[in-house]
Amino acid sequence: MIHSKSTDLYSKIYLFSIIIFLYLPILVMILMSFNSSKFYQLPIDWTFDWYVELAGNKKLLKAGMNSLIIAFVSTIISTVLGTCAAYAFFRFDFRGKRILQILLLPPITIPWLIIGTSMLIFFFWVGIGRGIFPMILGHVALSIPYVVIVVSARMKSFDIALEESARSLGATPLQAFFKVTLPWIFPGFFAAGLFAFAVSLDQFVISYFLATPGERTLPVEIYTAIRKGFTPEINAISTIIILVSMSILLVVSRYHRFNR
Amino acid sequence: MKSILGSMSIRSLIMSLIMIISSVIIHAAEVRVLNWQGYGTDEKWAVEAFTNKTGIEVVHDYFNSEQEMLTKLRTTPGYYDVVLINSAFTGQAQSEGLISAVDSSKIENFNDLSPGMGGNPNLVMNGKVYGVAWVWGVTSFAVDSTRFSNIPDSIEVLWDKKYAGKVSVRDDAVEAVQLTAIALGQDINNPSDLNAIKNKLMSLKSQVRTYWSSEDEWNQFFSADEFDLATYWSGSASRSKTAFKLPVEFVIPKEGAIGWLDGLSVATNAPNSSGAHKFIDWMIDPDFYVKWDTEVGAPASANAKANSMLPSSAFNRAVLGNPQKVSKVQFMGPMDDKIREEMLEIWQEVKASQ
Amino acid sequence: MIKSGINTVKGPLSLTAPTYLWLAFTVFLPLSAMFFFSFLNDAPFGNKDVSFSLENYEAIWNKQFYQILLLKSFRLGLEVTLLCFVIGFPCALILAKNIKGHWREAIFVLIILPFWSNALVRIFSWTMVLRGNGIIEVMLNWIFPGYGDFSFMFTYQAILIGLVHSYLPYMILTCYVSIQAIDDSILEAARVLGAGRFMILFKLIIPLSLPGIAAGSVLIFIPVVGSFMEPRILGGREGTFIGTIIEDQFTRVFNWPLGAALSFLMLFIILMIIILSNSLSKRLR
Repeated sequence: MIHSKSTDLYSKIYLFSIIIFLYLPILVMILMSFNSSKFYQLPIDWTFDWYVELAGNKKLLKAGMNSLIIAFVSTIISTVLGTCAAYAFFRFDFRGKRILQILLLPPITIPWLIIGTSMLIFFFWVGIGRGIFPMILGHVALSIPYVVIVVSARMKSFDIALEESARSLGATPLQAFFKVTLPWIFPGFFAAGLFAFAVSLDQFVISYFLATPGERTLPVEIYTAIRKGFTPEINAISTIIILVSMSILLVVSRYHRFNR
Repeated sequence: MKSILGSMSIRSLIMSLIMIISSVIIHAAEVRVLNWQGYGTDEKWAVEAFTNKTGIEVVHDYFNSEQEMLTKLRTTPGYYDVVLINSAFTGQAQSEGLISAVDSSKIENFNDLSPGMGGNPNLVMNGKVYGVAWVWGVTSFAVDSTRFSNIPDSIEVLWDKKYAGKVSVRDDAVEAVQLTAIALGQDINNPSDLNAIKNKLMSLKSQVRTYWSSEDEWNQFFSADEFDLATYWSGSASRSKTAFKLPVEFVIPKEGAIGWLDGLSVATNAPNSSGAHKFIDWMIDPDFYVKWDTEVGAPASANAKANSMLPSSAFNRAVLGNPQKVSKVQFMGPMDDKIREEMLEIWQEVKASQ
Repeated sequence: MIKSGINTVKGPLSLTAPTYLWLAFTVFLPLSAMFFFSFLNDAPFGNKDVSFSLENYEAIWNKQFYQILLLKSFRLGLEVTLLCFVIGFPCALILAKNIKGHWREAIFVLIILPFWSNALVRIFSWTMVLRGNGIIEVMLNWIFPGYGDFSFMFTYQAILIGLVHSYLPYMILTCYVSIQAIDDSILEAARVLGAGRFMILFKLIIPLSLPGIAAGSVLIFIPVVGSFMEPRILGGREGTFIGTIIEDQFTRVFNWPLGAALSFLMLFIILMIIILSNSLSKRLR
């Protein structure tokens, strides 16, 4: 790319404005969480009230707990299942492999609205209904493709010869996998797990259709609050979520280089 | 693997997880209420008083439309205890098996209900009470009193070009169609010319800035100056004025308004039926009602005794109690399924039009 | 790839079976169920009589407004994708080529960070920025006293802003990955041979980063077509799209068969678009 002083300056200004654009609503929300006006009116009247209210808001706290439980369980399941599949694709060559790989696309390429409503229909019909268990079913299905993609990318750098030599030294396939392959791909495994966790935590559409009044996740509770009317505690809890998840990502990025 | 996943730590992790989960699942006796948000049953002081007296906790879920209320009942059977159902829909809920009969002997205040309301044929079917008459009011429109030197007296002001882009309408098919029917002088439960209604609604659309779907939204948009006038409910207007101190004036125009009677029902297979009856009893109690109307703002009570305990200047006594003012009010009643479906379609078409 | 002899079938089968069984139960079977549902005349719960009928598809065919809404939603998808490309591609380009080292990674993380905030709350925050007596109006009145009313809320543009804001990082990410893979020496060679800046951009950089652009476009276009949260919260009277109508069928109107029919139709059109664009890109190559 051709560099000149002026294009350099303009490009930096452009980048800077994009970043401001991306962060504007987040900053507003954080500010509003300290505003005592019930209808989000300016000027800001500083207060910690909403955070205090939040501590006593059982609904939101329960929803937060549900979100964490679902994210935790579905992350474990999808990471294990996805890694197995990624390993199979990498290790073996078999008929129908291409088709199986294509079949991983629907959860990502079909609008979640359609996946969510079809799950609702099917689970109702089959008698599973809605609730935390169906939500876990759904979240795992959505995360698996991402896990496969991330783990596969990491596997590309793995030399299969290492596993083969372990086998030739007498290790069973299982031992070879756990002692040689897994430690090597662990960064990818871990990153996939984090990804799956994030996908589940932020997942709204599917959880929306599969939630029952007593069993909701946090995004669903927030949407209900926005639609039905609620006090600005949602700003408070959202601020907390943003700050927590951003810090997690910052910590992760220290240990995992995105730029090779 | 890392030491953090050692067997000892796994066990303690699982134990604490189980404890957290169980504390979330196990709860004290509770009664689950399905209602509009901010509509009396979830008033903090009222719920606290109830819990202190009976030891039962109150848990709420909300809806934004009668249609949504019915869908929630259909898709979550055996979950709710108390449901607020507009008397126009009680019959439908009953025929679908969504609600069960209320044992009026368990409700002390039941005999204080005004006879016309307590025994309303929409609520009492086959000699059984399916909905306990609770409150009634009217749907019309409210204006920002700072924007109007003279409070309008005709519903046509919603179509007044002077306020183009400063009107808001509730996103509900039945309500929109029925208000238009009133403007055109038709029967709201059996409109004679749906086509004329559709055309009038189309011309209303260009006046509308946005739709509102909850009272909280109404108040938010009002405070943000998004509209000067909007369709609204009498009880809610009173609440916006009294509790939130907003300059809201409710208008019953000369063409009339939509009247409604809300009843409290018990859902089929309610987990806590006795608790449900106790809660309903508390809701129609004058002690609850008078405080609700005077301090927060509410529709008119179906309990004649409660109503008579209000100060004479209260809107619910002065205006709604005045037969002349409410002479043109048409009350909502059960509708033919076909007509309701047509109303839904008209509204969808109006909303989707460019 | 090494075939492991006797284990050729057993290995991959046992490893992939759990995944695909899970997907079958949660994605493929439900989609078939939805397809089946769209041919019923009423939701088969409670004590209703249901029968097969084409009435849902008939309704969609006859009522013009369903078709208008489908078009409107696809148009929205196109516009958002285009905007994300126009805004995001230069961003990715600058990041990949102009910024060096240390800073590059920091800014990259900075751009991905908003991803991790809850999408709903971000949209809701936009209402506070855009509404009457919101942040922008207050600031404008402060800079230009007497500016008066500014309200972007409840307009098509507000929906665009909300959606572009949500999906921009996708485009920046995918384009960045592609652009980064372009060897600097190719660009240097072109420059030495006398190619102007724009020529390098249009004839080299963009074609070489096409996979990234395509991936970003797919990741943005498809969810936007089916979106309902943003239109509902930001759109006001302009906020009716096929996504909101489908959501209505399931949560308010309780006409699940009609919702299923609309969903399936949308799915069908999306698949057609994907297949078409796939074959188109193959031809261009």
